[in-house]
Amino acid sequence: MSERTLLSVRDLSVRFRMRGGGEVAAVTGASFDLAPGECLALVGESGCGKSVLASALLGLLPGNARAAGRARLRTGEGTGAGGCDEDGIDLLGADERTLARTVRGRRVGLVPQSPAAHLTPVRSVRSQLAETVRELTGKRGTELADATLAAAERAAFPADHLDRYPHQLSGGLAQRAATALALVAQAPLLLADEPTTGLDRDLVDRTVDELRRHTDDGHGLLLITHDLAAAERVADRVAVMYAGRIVELAPAESFFRRAGPRHPYARGLLDALPERAFTPIPGMPPELGDLPEGCAFAPRCARATDVCATVPPLRERVACHHPYEGSE
Amino acid sequence: MRIPLLPALSARTVRVRVSVGLVAAVAGAVLLVPLLFPLDEQAVDMANKLHPPSWAHLFGTDDLGRDVLLRSVYGLRVSLLVGVVAALTATVIGTAVGAAAGASGGRVDRLVMRVVDVFSSVPHLLLGIFIVAMFRPGVWPVVISVGLTHWLSTARIVRAEVLSLRSRPYIDAAISGGASRWRVGVRHLLPGVLPQAGLAAVLMVPHAIWHESALSFLGLGLPTHRASLGNMIQDARGTLLAGDWWPTLFPGLFIIVPTLAIAGLAGVWRERINPRRRSELML
Amino acid sequence: MGERTVPGPAAALELRGVTAGYDRRAPVLRDVSLAVGAGEAVGLLGPSGCGKSTLARVSALLHRPYAGTVLLGGEEARGWRHRAPRAQRTAVGVVFQQPRLAADPRLTLAALLAEPLRATGRTDGIPARTAELAEEVGLGPELLGRRPHEVSDGQLQRACLARALVLRPRVLVCDEMTAMLDASTTAALVAVVERYRAGSGAALLAVGHDRVLLDRWCDRTVHYADLVSGAVTPGRRAPADTPAG
Repeated sequence: MSERTLLSVRDLSVRFRMRGGGEVAAVTGASFDLAPGECLALVGESGCGKSVLASALLGLLPGNARAAGRARLRTGEGTGAGGCDEDGIDLLGADERTLARTVRGRRVGLVPQSPAAHLTPVRSVRSQLAETVRELTGKRGTELADATLAAAERAAFPADHLDRYPHQLSGGLAQRAATALALVAQAPLLLADEPTTGLDRDLVDRTVDELRRHTDDGHGLLLITHDLAAAERVADRVAVMYAGRIVELAPAESFFRRAGPRHPYARGLLDALPERAFTPIPGMPPELGDLPEGCAFAPRCARATDVCATVPPLRERVACHHPYEGSE
Repeated sequence: MRIPLLPALSARTVRVRVSVGLVAAVAGAVLLVPLLFPLDEQAVDMANKLHPPSWAHLFGTDDLGRDVLLRSVYGLRVSLLVGVVAALTATVIGTAVGAAAGASGGRVDRLVMRVVDVFSSVPHLLLGIFIVAMFRPGVWPVVISVGLTHWLSTARIVRAEVLSLRSRPYIDAAISGGASRWRVGVRHLLPGVLPQAGLAAVLMVPHAIWHESALSFLGLGLPTHRASLGNMIQDARGTLLAGDWWPTLFPGLFIIVPTLAIAGLAGVWRERINPRRRSELML
Repeated sequence: MGERTVPGPAAALELRGVTAGYDRRAPVLRDVSLAVGAGEAVGLLGPSGCGKSTLARVSALLHRPYAGTVLLGGEEARGWRHRAPRAQRTAVGVVFQQPRLAADPRLTLAALLAEPLRATGRTDGIPARTAELAEEVGLGPELLGRRPHEVSDGQLQRACLARALVLRPRVLVCDEMTAMLDASTTAALVAVVERYRAGSGAALLAVGHDRVLLDRWCDRTVHYADLVSGAVTPGRRAPADTPAG
């Protein structure tokens, strides 16, 4: 584990107890690291468990869910030797009070899926932003007004639009307003859960470009998305999730451009893009409550053999018995 | 994929259980007490008048020596009967009017809703008094009076729900699939508003009980010799001034407790049908 | 752009000078014309909120325009919503953006899929037709018994597409059909549409905001801005009447 690591997730699993006694394996054995100034895109189809993973990191799982494993967020700056284990906070073990007071909003900023729904319709952007600034920094009076302006500026939200109400904003400005809220505390980790769903291509590009800018400012960004084009535009590394597991974790450059994905599922997902082969992966993902034995992708996989009846571990960045060759 | 949550044993669960328990107790009392104590609830016993609560008469006796517990139970029977039938009547009228207005839209909708506004602008107790005054005292005039004056809010609720459902893409899809007006109404709109209408009906039962009591208290409801909760409180006014509290208190409690229990159940129902309160997680 | 040139009388779907919206004083569409030839696939590209969805609903006779005409197979639309003759209404199949809103939450997927058959009285052979279409869109029998909240967005959208195809429409209107879906499901649904079109010769109007997708999918892609010929003149508005219902 490098000293540069901001977030270190090890063997994160989330189980849901169901009515009637069943169990749903929403996330199984997810491990990854994230450094400051780095963007990791967590991609996969809806229902693959990526949003549950994000909820687990924020301590926002519903009551019938249990998370296991570790998720260390480094908190201290410059304590050196210990790295993230000594001065970090375990997001899965922390109690609700700690999460609410020191983590959410302060150390982890959440860029929401639907900015329009995230903003209070009856209050101006300025008043919402000021409230958040006051809550997180304790500033008052002119200091507060200045900090509010600075917070807006950080997200490139135009100062002359601050007194507008959410419904008076374009989609892009609403997204910036929501991002400004997420950035108020200068949280080292930004978590963006499907920030581009339903946006036009231009707006998607602008939104992810801004997220990239914040990443370059030193934030670590965990981007959860099903939009591969958005991921390609912004990510340093890509983690592909399928049926609750991370099946491939690769540098974006080799994943999207040079070698291509090594996991057959990731390859199939990329090939389904209209700018590529535009051919779907046959079949549909399995139910998380009724996963097949062994590799969950095997029933849909052209390369599957008898070996695939056992779950492949994530080795050399890919969890597959028959990966495509990466030429790194 | 959506995963329904397991309900935790929360304050809500406790509320559900208390409400269910109370409603069950009320239903039990109303059904069983007359079977177990087949006394003549009208029996006058001047020798035993105005006895305070005792083991012989748990709720005491009234100024004519009648058992207050027994009369309260019989009164509750009548009140519940009136409440349930009147609430159903009002709900059927309200749902029909509201659904017709919402589904028709345009001029029909505007006209119907203005009529509703006009009715709403008249205090409904006054209107109710006017209606019962046209009949001889009895159970059915009270039912008609309460039913005819209480459908307005249901009509508004149902109309709003129909209007909101009507603009859903699934209605568009049904029309595009060749569904007739009737089919869209009966297969898609009506099932969608029934939970709301049902909730309105349940919430109206306590309201109707109070209304019956108010009419009886004013001497316009049931014949004065019938044991109805309103009549009992009316009869006991004089004794209350003399310091004999039990003939007033117990019928009063018999109005309050069932209405609270029903309202509690309705509240739970409302949470169940309101999607925002449904605890579901979307993966 | 030459999109306003009127093709031959065989155009499967044609909009002429359509002005429509939800407020007469501020229509969302102003004097829009568009033609989709028989068997042609046209992509309509535009930013969100520009009125594309209104155009899709007008094309499917689900929204009454203030002015202009819609022609299906050269025949003028004779009404809107319930007032449209059933044969015209069912000649256009529609798929909407959000499957959750487009599916009656009380119906199982099998009932949802067969709903147009029941609505039009074609109850013979419902099981066979349902099974055939379910297989075509990739829904297994175990999914058909579920209700919308028990399946994923992608699975529900498959059922909604099957519903749109069940009456074998001559025109298919897909309004942002894949905006909520992942790449693989998108490709799968587009493949279903294209197989249907290849077998039936149906025309397609695919509305969306993803140029790459529409360019790949359709014979030609038109930009929404190019359909609008200019501001509507007050004299051309339709006479006032009760809103379509």
